Amino acid sequence: MALEYSFRSAFQSLWREKWINMLSMFTVFSGLLIISLISFFLYNFEVIANRLPERFSIIVYLNEKLSGEEINNVIDTLKKRQDVLSLKYISKDEALKEIKKVLRDSSHILEGLSENPLSSSVEIKLKKDYVTSSAVRQISGEIRMMSGVEDVQSGERIAEAIHLFKRSLQNISIIILAIISSGVIFVSYSTVKILFFRRKEEIDILKLLGATKGFIRAPFIIEGSVIGLIGGGLAAAGILGFYFAVTYRLSVYIPLFKMLILPQEILILLPLTGIMLGIIGSAIAIGRLKP
Amino acid sequence: MIAFQNVSKHYDNNIVLKDISFSVQKAEMAFITGPSGAGKSTILKLMYMEERPDEGDIVIGDFHLASLKASKIPFFRRGIGIVFQDFKLIDNLTVIDNVALSLRIRGVSEKEVKTLAFTALKKVHLRHKADNFPKSLSGGEQQRVVIARAIVAEPFLVLADEPTGNLDSNTALDIMKVFRGINISGTTVIIATHNRELFRYTGKRVLKLDGGNLIGEEVG
Repeated sequence: MALEYSFRSAFQSLWREKWINMLSMFTVFSGLLIISLISFFLYNFEVIANRLPERFSIIVYLNEKLSGEEINNVIDTLKKRQDVLSLKYISKDEALKEIKKVLRDSSHILEGLSENPLSSSVEIKLKKDYVTSSAVRQISGEIRMMSGVEDVQSGERIAEAIHLFKRSLQNISIIILAIISSGVIFVSYSTVKILFFRRKEEIDILKLLGATKGFIRAPFIIEGSVIGLIGGGLAAAGILGFYFAVTYRLSVYIPLFKMLILPQEILILLPLTGIMLGIIGSAIAIGRLKP
Repeated sequence: MIAFQNVSKHYDNNIVLKDISFSVQKAEMAFITGPSGAGKSTILKLMYMEERPDEGDIVIGDFHLASLKASKIPFFRRGIGIVFQDFKLIDNLTVIDNVALSLRIRGVSEKEVKTLAFTALKKVHLRHKADNFPKSLSGGEQQRVVIARAIVAEPFLVLADEPTGNLDSNTALDIMKVFRGINISGTTVIIATHNRELFRYTGKRVLKLDGGNLIGEEVG
């Protein structure tokens, strides 16, 4: 059958031209390994960056003269805002306890104080979408205008930095992935082009015997996919090895590495990407066949 | 069954065929002869559609080649067996696989492929060389493999371009016997050759070309 011939021809060529094919597999492997390493780090940065808004908060300092009922009124008004995810009331005494905890051995600094100088406050966590500098600025301004509010500390710059960091990461990752993917496609293209020229005579013979374009192209496409599959498979093994080396070995010295996550999908995605790049490279290399 | 109708062909400013018209009947064996550069190979190339005519039309069976769509060319070629002077065998395939290629292209089942390929090799007396590679065969044997490849799918037409050009005279006569056998079985055979010995005393029609013109016909 034609398909059987295509597979046989592709595997014969893979074996016959083993050195050039191994070189291509190695290049696809290195390209995809670099892509996956970058993706791995970008993914983990993204996970961390996504958690940053959860840690971001606005502190609303309340007027000292507010009665308990007035404090409750302020808290209720804040709770009703659509941008507020959660809030926590911190009384003067709790604030002092907190400071003592933070100062620990240096808590004697507070000994000379005759009364608690701290204000009661409300710590507000915003919904993810509102952690941008403009939104935070507007929210702070609105809260500051509320009666009973003494001051608002918001850290707009931190919000802006988080926002910028996330956006830059996304842009950089797209650029890097595009460059390396193009490189891998180019390598597959070059390999198949070389193989194509080496087999030009054979291709001409096939045409004269009545072979269709599909029949002629099939072995090259299969060859490109196998190169991509093996290159991608090796890259998956490489990233898995790297991940275990980092999380199990290096995390002994740098505990932060324990937090790194390797999405399991990447282990399937890499061979599939390899196949896809191999097919694209082969298809471009063969191009339009004249009858 | 084969008709050239006022066919002209030129490459840049070089006219290789001028207003050629002739026909070849079904199951006929005909020769095209003439000196080098007369246009013999061009006529064959036009017949297997490696070239298209600049003017006129060529009708082969139901196909009008001047207007045949590119996508139909492979299917048209499957009805033709071609024999080349330079063999055009694939060196890394064995003799049997070279012959089988014509069948695999047509999608014939693998079981049938083997049987048909061995039968074709038997017809050219090369059954015992099935597992050899082309480079290990003599010129005459390689040409017989090419003939086996050309006839294995039972085409209605066999075209041969200087099929004995690289062979000694005894081997050339052996090859001609094979062609006569193919023709006797009902296949149309057209052979382009400058070697008059090949068609002498055959009693077959010979079309004479010179400088791209059909200058006459004779019986060999």
